[in-house]
Amino acid sequence: MLLPIPEEEVRPFEPPPEYAELRAGPRVVRVACPTGIDAWLVSDYEGVREVLGDGRRFSTRPGQAAHVLSAFGAGEKPVEGSAETPVQSFAQTDGPEHIRIRRNFAPQVSHARRLAELRPMIEQITDDAITRMLASPQPYLLHSQFSTAITTAVIAELIGVPGDRHHLLHDAATALFTTSTKPEELRTALEPLWRYLYELIATRRARPGDDVLSRMIEHSADSERPLTDAELTGMNGALLIAGFDTTASMITYGLVCLWQTPGQWERLCADPGLAVTATEELVRYLAAGTGLLRQATEDTRIHGQPIRAGDYVVVAVQSGNRDPDLHADGDTFDLGRKPGAHLGFGHGAHACVGQQIARMELTTVLGALARRVPTLRLAVPFEQIEWKKDSVVRGPVDLPVVWS
Amino acid sequence: MKVALERDWCIGAGNCALTAPAVFDQDPDDAVVVLLDDSPPESERTAVEEAIARCPSAVIRLLS
Repeated sequence: MLLPIPEEEVRPFEPPPEYAELRAGPRVVRVACPTGIDAWLVSDYEGVREVLGDGRRFSTRPGQAAHVLSAFGAGEKPVEGSAETPVQSFAQTDGPEHIRIRRNFAPQVSHARRLAELRPMIEQITDDAITRMLASPQPYLLHSQFSTAITTAVIAELIGVPGDRHHLLHDAATALFTTSTKPEELRTALEPLWRYLYELIATRRARPGDDVLSRMIEHSADSERPLTDAELTGMNGALLIAGFDTTASMITYGLVCLWQTPGQWERLCADPGLAVTATEELVRYLAAGTGLLRQATEDTRIHGQPIRAGDYVVVAVQSGNRDPDLHADGDTFDLGRKPGAHLGFGHGAHACVGQQIARMELTTVLGALARRVPTLRLAVPFEQIEWKKDSVVRGPVDLPVVWS
Repeated sequence: MKVALERDWCIGAGNCALTAPAVFDQDPDDAVVVLLDDSPPESERTAVEEAIARCPSAVIRLLS
């Protein structure tokens, strides 16, 4: 069979219907992926968690989306940069090397005390964006002018990238997340960001600031093996590229889901504190519809199905999150649901490195909109929303909205 | 209740410290999990179980 891909214009918030049957039946089946590779497709919660949680048996070396991104599908390694700007891909490194890099990252983006320090910055950027929106003509394009503006400002502020360079991460992300981008096109699209990061690293080595990049340089300087420019570029590039469109799309897509599911937006407006559980529920319900890719490092089994070393494995994250094994009513959207151990930010050593910042952005934005703009709504009939088809980051292309 | 850690594979995601802050903290240097109390009171059991379920690296063990 072919790998099932979400069809938002038919089922805006649901995984393909095949998944309910696969979860109840074979759980692990052979599929043909859009990029031409064949893979084992794992559709249930326990199986998805097992594969993502075991980096020793299941490697991310081919790239986490090489089953849907043409630029990776032919076994190319487009994130390695060029001779002048070599890039060590953080997402495609396994084992102790990956842990070493990750532990330089984590104090800046996922330490509980550091997150408390970052909250005022995220709240300020959100408040400013809402004030700007309320002063703008209607209808207003929410995804491009609001969601993307907020998440770009947050990630750029974190790393210290000025506004006149934001186009570098936008261009890089568009090329990286577009399924039809060819390997050579991706290399060309990423090179300006790599070159810029090399300049930025040199500047920060000479004149450190209080940004994430300077802190990583300083932090690793005292270690046995300080981070190289190639590693710093790979880590910070990954944070910049993956750090705005994913979260922005979840804000936009999430709002549509809250508006379209009866009673949910009203409930949030009545109690904006529910933004915390609403965030968790949206990520469980909507994230990673195209799944994640791994490659077996040894002969093994998943639910008894023999898997050979070198075989590709696609885990259907959204399907796993709907599994009755996680929540008996997993296909119901409930913004007040007590969060379970969903896999919407991934799982295992490669779980989303920016997940705590993404949570804080989503919670802040949803809560602030519910408080300040409870009349926010679609400006067009729901059927007229255009959905992204050629991307691994799902959601509306843009979203015309009004308020009163 | 007895709790133990295998810190070698911790990636410092912070879910434990955010879920059960009375039991888990993070090292300021590498964000790796720190056990504040290896024998927490029974009232912390639910929070510890949630922290285990949400740990991406499966480095927390409930021994009793």
